[in-house]
Amino acid sequence: MTNVTTTVRGACPQDCPDTCAFIYTVEDGKLKDVKGDPDHPVTRGRLCTKLNDFAAHHNNPDRILYPMKRTGPKGSGEFKRISWDEALEEIKSRWTGIIDEFGPQAIMPVHYLGHQGVLNGLTAGDAFFNRLGSTIAEKTFCGVGREIGTHLSIGGSTGVDPESLVHSKYIILWAVNTLSSGSHHWPFIEEARRNGAKVVVIDPLKSRTAVQSDWHIPIRPGTDAALALGMMNIIISEGLTDAEYIAQHTEGFEELAERAAEYPVDKVSSITGIPEADILTLAREYAGNNPSVIRQGVAIERHRNGGQTARAISCLPALIGAWRHVGGGNLGLTLAPFALDWDAMCRPDWIKEGARVINLHNLGSALNELSDPPLKSVMIYNINPVVQSPNTEMIKKGLSREDLFVVSSELFLTDTAAYADIILPATMQAEQTDVMFSWGHFYWTYNHKAVEAPGEAIPNTELFRRLAELMGFDEPEWKRTDEEMIRDYLDWDSPFMEGITLEDLQKNGYAKVAAGDKDTRTPHAEGNFDTPSGKCEFKSNLAADGTFVPPPFRAGYNGQQLAGYIDPLPGYTPPFESPESAPELSEKFPLNIISPKSHGFLNSQYANEFKQLRREGEPIVIMNPADAKQRGIEDGDAVSVFNDRGSFTGAAKVTDDTMKGVIASFHGHWQKKTGGNGSHKGSVNAVSSERMANLGSAPTYSDILVEVTKISAV
Amino acid sequence: MPFVVTDNCTGCRFTDCVEVCPVSCFHGDDDRVYIDPVACIDCAACVPLCPVQAIYEDLDLPEEKEHWTEVNAEKAPTLPKIIKKQPLLEGAEERMEALGFSRDN
Ligand code: SF4
Ligand code: SF4
Ligand code: SF4
Repeated sequence: MTNVTTTVRGACPQDCPDTCAFIYTVEDGKLKDVKGDPDHPVTRGRLCTKLNDFAAHHNNPDRILYPMKRTGPKGSGEFKRISWDEALEEIKSRWTGIIDEFGPQAIMPVHYLGHQGVLNGLTAGDAFFNRLGSTIAEKTFCGVGREIGTHLSIGGSTGVDPESLVHSKYIILWAVNTLSSGSHHWPFIEEARRNGAKVVVIDPLKSRTAVQSDWHIPIRPGTDAALALGMMNIIISEGLTDAEYIAQHTEGFEELAERAAEYPVDKVSSITGIPEADILTLAREYAGNNPSVIRQGVAIERHRNGGQTARAISCLPALIGAWRHVGGGNLGLTLAPFALDWDAMCRPDWIKEGARVINLHNLGSALNELSDPPLKSVMIYNINPVVQSPNTEMIKKGLSREDLFVVSSELFLTDTAAYADIILPATMQAEQTDVMFSWGHFYWTYNHKAVEAPGEAIPNTELFRRLAELMGFDEPEWKRTDEEMIRDYLDWDSPFMEGITLEDLQKNGYAKVAAGDKDTRTPHAEGNFDTPSGKCEFKSNLAADGTFVPPPFRAGYNGQQLAGYIDPLPGYTPPFESPESAPELSEKFPLNIISPKSHGFLNSQYANEFKQLRREGEPIVIMNPADAKQRGIEDGDAVSVFNDRGSFTGAAKVTDDTMKGVIASFHGHWQKKTGGNGSHKGSVNAVSSERMANLGSAPTYSDILVEVTKISAV
Repeated sequence: MPFVVTDNCTGCRFTDCVEVCPVSCFHGDDDRVYIDPVACIDCAACVPLCPVQAIYEDLDLPEEKEHWTEVNAEKAPTLPKIIKKQPLLEGAEERMEALGFSRDN
């Protein structure tokens, strides 16, 4: 037989800012290799450590290839193969019974961004569940609090193009570990550095990125807004502002100055744990080295004051006129110029009046406590809440309910899928068509289907076509091909789509949105903020409307918003779980845990792969020597980390990578497959809480108190 | 868990590897290069570019090459970064052939 080798263009499916352009190599119909496309201007032919053997992930013998039905107790992972017809028949009869008895709101989808495609990602099932009339799942796991906070200040800004970073002179990487979770920004940062830029990292943990930076500023978790307000105070009181920019393009300066004055440097130092001299230097250097840029990571929001923290930081560039310069300003989510017709994707017009909305941070409580109607069925796809959502013990308890019908569409038998009654086999990226936006650069990327799906796996698009037919939905939308859906979902008439056609995108694999030239663009040099006043609003007009979550994160629905009070000025509130807010709790649980993304896994994905697991090793608990000594813990000791919500175990890594009182453990390890000797118990979200931050219902994964104790070897 | 440059590099220094590296991990002396293990982010992008297969992930090193992990860690920080492709060392092509590699494989 002659070998036929072809190459096909693709795109990384992951919820990672970089959205790498792929080249698939296919030999005789089998996926042989996945490489980066060397011509892509940002991702430049290089994948990260998580995905650099992506072909092996496709060909992993543990893949779920056929529908399966549970045969053992819930959570046991015992299943038998069934046919698609049997699986669909079971789903239909259970759902119909539930709808008859409790109404459709007793059913809820549980899903997120395990895949980020326009077709198969965040909104893949929204139209189906809206048509069904289910409870609406609000999903604010990542970035929504940061974006709302930023939005209140500067509106729906496109922000700084990461390719413009080469022009920056002062780069603050704030709450972001670029080298582990978005490393394709780094070559631009390095180029800036070769041109004389200084790179500063603000992070409670001495991350890989902190090690490679010029200056790492460790900060107490959840106190970043106090630092930002303190910087403002120094900048204003020392006259380092750009008065002309403030006069022309901002609103509320007087009020902001008053608020900032409440944060003198000694107070900020005692809140943040940063020496006064460092705060002064940071503020002066930031203001004095335009173009300066702040890259805000997602971790900025993971505590009570999360939204207001991003809000405070996003006011800084206007204060010093950073927006006047190429490579100056704020770089957060780069999603604004990706013109999508979210309503066409989610179909909020199908939502019935008074629909119930449940935020998935509360999944544990909702499964156990919700009534009128109780949740009787969940369909889980693109998510692994038993490992990744807060308060996992409650979630496991809820998923174990005998009367709860759980459907899971999955690639592997994850800790969550183990609780399913029916598992449906899902395709991996080379086996499906999709188009990807990016939240870290300005390129659309097209993913061609390169190989046939193994076994009976199907993409989410096909899954919801089948379910729609099953439930008797007969709208023409359910009959569209993937390509027709792409045509309907992208807003081809948007000015950002100028010069982009589907045909070109398919042929070239990627296309840059029309958001200005990287070497000249200054989106807000003349103001032009997409806020009610058209200015950067230090005092926000939008705050009057109260808190909200953008409709794409709640199936397109804009009803039943929380609408809680928003301070119109950026502010600082101490964490929920801190000595200031909860003195008794902090006596009992004195250590603040943060759970950053690991280097080797993408959230919990790839944590079942030999290579990634080998690189990552066993779960570790990073702790300061002072905290370790106090507890008789030595480097390498097995420890248990616990609070009233749950516990997990790991190996102590005693270093000064965190300050006293702060510990860190990377998330993503599967409960069943933890590294090392494979016998660690639980995972870090056993201790995290369902509480949400003050804007955008952001999670509070860094706002958690625990105690650590040495245990005999696990 | 970094990547490591082993013996095949010595005397060749084709430096096809260096430009792809996102973190400028490569440091070099007159004969060869070393990877800074602290900076390396394990992306593996450099591996296929080396024409004499000198680069390994540390966990995949054959036993007789394991000592190179330490050599890279010791040497790299003491030497200047190499971020641009260098002129070939004299005799490098011949050495590549002697090692049984060619530009086409
Ligand atoms: S996870 Fe991110 S960095 Fe890694 S290959 Fe995918 S897009 Fe690129
Ligand atoms: S390409 Fe290979 S032989 Fe050449 S310098 Fe790099 S590691 Fe050494
Ligand atoms: S593996 Fe990646 S980061 Fe490490 S040396 Fe090679 S190219 Fe550089």
